[in-house]
Amino acid sequence: MSDVALLLQAAADTSHAYGEFPVIGARAFVWITAEVHLMFAAFVLGVPMFAVVTEAIGIFGGDERYDRLSKEFTRLLLVAYSATAIWGAMLVFGLSTLYPRFWAYLTAIFAPSMWVYAALFFIESFTLYLYYYGWDRWKKGRAKVGHWTLGILLNVWGTVVMFIANSWLTYMMSPPRDITATTDPTTIKLWHAIANATWMPINVHRVIANVVFGGAIVGAYASYRFLAARTDEERAHYDWMGYVGNFIAMSALIVLPFAGYWLGREIYQYDQSMGITMMGGFMSWLWVIQAFLIAVLFLTGNYYLWIGMGRIPGAERFRPYTKWLLVVLVLGAIVWGTPHTMIADSKELAAMGGSHHPLLGALGVMSAKNTAVNLMILTTFLSFLLYRRANTRPVVPWARTGTIIQAAMFAIAAGIVLFYGIRGYFVEAIVRIGFSVYQVLAVLACIVGVTVIDILMARGAQSLGAIRWGQMPPRSQYALFILAVTFTWLMGLMGFARSGIRQYWHVWQVMQDTSKYAATPALGYASKMISLCVLIFLCLVAFVFWIGGLAEKSTFVAPGAGDAGVGKARDVGH
Amino acid sequence: MWVTNLKIVGVVLGTLAVYTLIANEIPQVQSEVPQTLTLGSNVTPEQLVAAGDKVFNGIGGCTTCHGLGTRAPNLLTDEKGTGPIGVRCGKREPGKSCKDYLFESLDNPTAYVVPGYQPIMPVMTKQLSPEQVWAVIAFLESQGGTVDVTGDDIAKSKPAPPGGSSAGGGSFAGSSTDPKAIIQAAGCLACHKLDGQGQVIAPDLTHVGSRRTAESIRRKILDPTSSIAKGYEKLAGIMPKTFGTMMNAAQLEALVQYLAAHK
Repeated sequence: MSDVALLLQAAADTSHAYGEFPVIGARAFVWITAEVHLMFAAFVLGVPMFAVVTEAIGIFGGDERYDRLSKEFTRLLLVAYSATAIWGAMLVFGLSTLYPRFWAYLTAIFAPSMWVYAALFFIESFTLYLYYYGWDRWKKGRAKVGHWTLGILLNVWGTVVMFIANSWLTYMMSPPRDITATTDPTTIKLWHAIANATWMPINVHRVIANVVFGGAIVGAYASYRFLAARTDEERAHYDWMGYVGNFIAMSALIVLPFAGYWLGREIYQYDQSMGITMMGGFMSWLWVIQAFLIAVLFLTGNYYLWIGMGRIPGAERFRPYTKWLLVVLVLGAIVWGTPHTMIADSKELAAMGGSHHPLLGALGVMSAKNTAVNLMILTTFLSFLLYRRANTRPVVPWARTGTIIQAAMFAIAAGIVLFYGIRGYFVEAIVRIGFSVYQVLAVLACIVGVTVIDILMARGAQSLGAIRWGQMPPRSQYALFILAVTFTWLMGLMGFARSGIRQYWHVWQVMQDTSKYAATPALGYASKMISLCVLIFLCLVAFVFWIGGLAEKSTFVAPGAGDAGVGKARDVGH
Repeated sequence: MWVTNLKIVGVVLGTLAVYTLIANEIPQVQSEVPQTLTLGSNVTPEQLVAAGDKVFNGIGGCTTCHGLGTRAPNLLTDEKGTGPIGVRCGKREPGKSCKDYLFESLDNPTAYVVPGYQPIMPVMTKQLSPEQVWAVIAFLESQGGTVDVTGDDIAKSKPAPPGGSSAGGGSFAGSSTDPKAIIQAAGCLACHKLDGQGQVIAPDLTHVGSRRTAESIRRKILDPTSSIAKGYEKLAGIMPKTFGTMMNAAQLEALVQYLAAHK
């Protein structure tokens, strides 16, 4: 930014550029409203994805329990939509009164898209009303498929709404390079501003993250209902629901890092200094915290599965393996969380005897970290596989060969991951970065290949007994709560990272933040804000669940009135 | 059910507390807004070192390369048995004091490049104010050496009044119109290759005159995003936009004509 532009901006700041909010200040108010709005937005985008998939399973799989599950969550959406809109309105009021100059700049560019956004939100809301209130009216034949189409439309509107909002915030991060501080915002073409460098990576990343989030919240809801259940049948129903939520959350979580890599790569390519700030600058410690949170997710998700194997006849034969899976996960988490390129002061550097810790420095590099996370993903997938096969014995004649091929696929994938991880220490950085692609492809190929073989091998498999749904110790349900809280906290942390790398810019290198809150706070302050936002969100979600419970009883139907018998639940969630 | 509810609340609050606690236990680094540094003529060495510490670890961006041990030499710790920078700075170039060597490193970083490293360091005297430059020098001297920077050093480095050699928009290499001196001072070879020297990160300039007219080269220097060479689209935005304000008109014209002659 030129000195002249800075002077012009400073002069403009003498007018009413910033407002103030009592007690907590303008930044904290916008932070809280934006974060809680975003969490609700993720909820109302993630849960419809969950609902439409489960409704489809109910329609095409002929299992009505999925249909009822889908309706139960759509009911919660009605109240959650209101909460999303209220927090969104508060955010707009906050921006327009506390950051009027910045808000005027954004509206000068994006006003047309804001009207489209409002119109789509309107259409989305009415689609939701039709979807929910038409559930019992359009429940058979072609009408049911039409109803399911409404669910798909609901997701389409929601996704487009999210893409539009993403364009505003990604423009703040990565405005096209021909736009400078002196560019008149009214001359900027709308599509040029929307299609900025980080728009599509954020879109993809958020779609996947919403699925994860939706699954986690569903899991928490189910765990609460499980703990509150008064009959075995009710407990069985919510045990199954919790499993489905956790399964979806963990499955989507496995692919989320790949979308994250893409986003990180685009940030580096757009502006290397922004990338360095993010990974090696003042935010470097944030990634250690992120590694810790993801380690908690992997460990807790696997722990839930391992406890769940206690209610599956035949799972005993796999139990000895779980301790080794735990060892791999813990070692992987330790490596992933090893710091490397840190901001350190002179005393800290002197204490370490160099810029890197002499022992741990070798584990803190990307070669080791990529290897660790890929092995953790493989291990989690293996946990799912053991869980899935626990109460069956394949009867196809090639079962033994199939199992050997599956084991070989795991071994080859792990070998490739390890080979490129070690080789990465002996090549240039640019070559090393390319190795991560091979590692990811090896893991994905293993997951796809092993799953296909497993599905074919499960044909006509001998059952060793039905899953005893509901026979889960309460600690398993608290694990689901920890997952939901951790996912939500992680969302807040990553939001801070994405927004914080702009540092003292409203719009990166185009519009400077000249308010008294321009400095980007340290992680300690940020963590308190994140915890506060998570707490507000969870309290409101609990309220939404309670309201939903008042409106209608749960969709659980006791045996005899439907087909939710525990014994029939063998294939559920598999 | 109340007991269960309390347990759930306990799990939620406990989880939040653990994450918040851990995030508060790690080193706290806040990203500050760059501030103007004002140091008077009677500034003390302690004040200079304290100010230099902030510039080195903050706005100066020095730790991006120095301290990683791969892109540039470590300055705050031992470098291949020669001690921290305050110990070794007076022995780098024969006859040059520690203070002079450090100033040269910031003002003309390609004059002496430590063996084993690339000449990628930008001219810091064009990015930092004289106060910031001398504060960094004092801070580096304090790493095992003696601080001998004074307020007079800052005063001598202040821009001359209008009409002086480095007034107004600034100038490279003491206003020299020798294109090679400008190229060296501007650090062009940190990314571009020219006549067999420099890096290959950005387009090779050896035959740039056959691809671009003088007008195109001039526009490219003044506004690097005005056109992007084919195959380098992903590097758009990397070239600093400040060269136009960092050299005078005579220097710009000398550089443009020199490059345009590279057919």
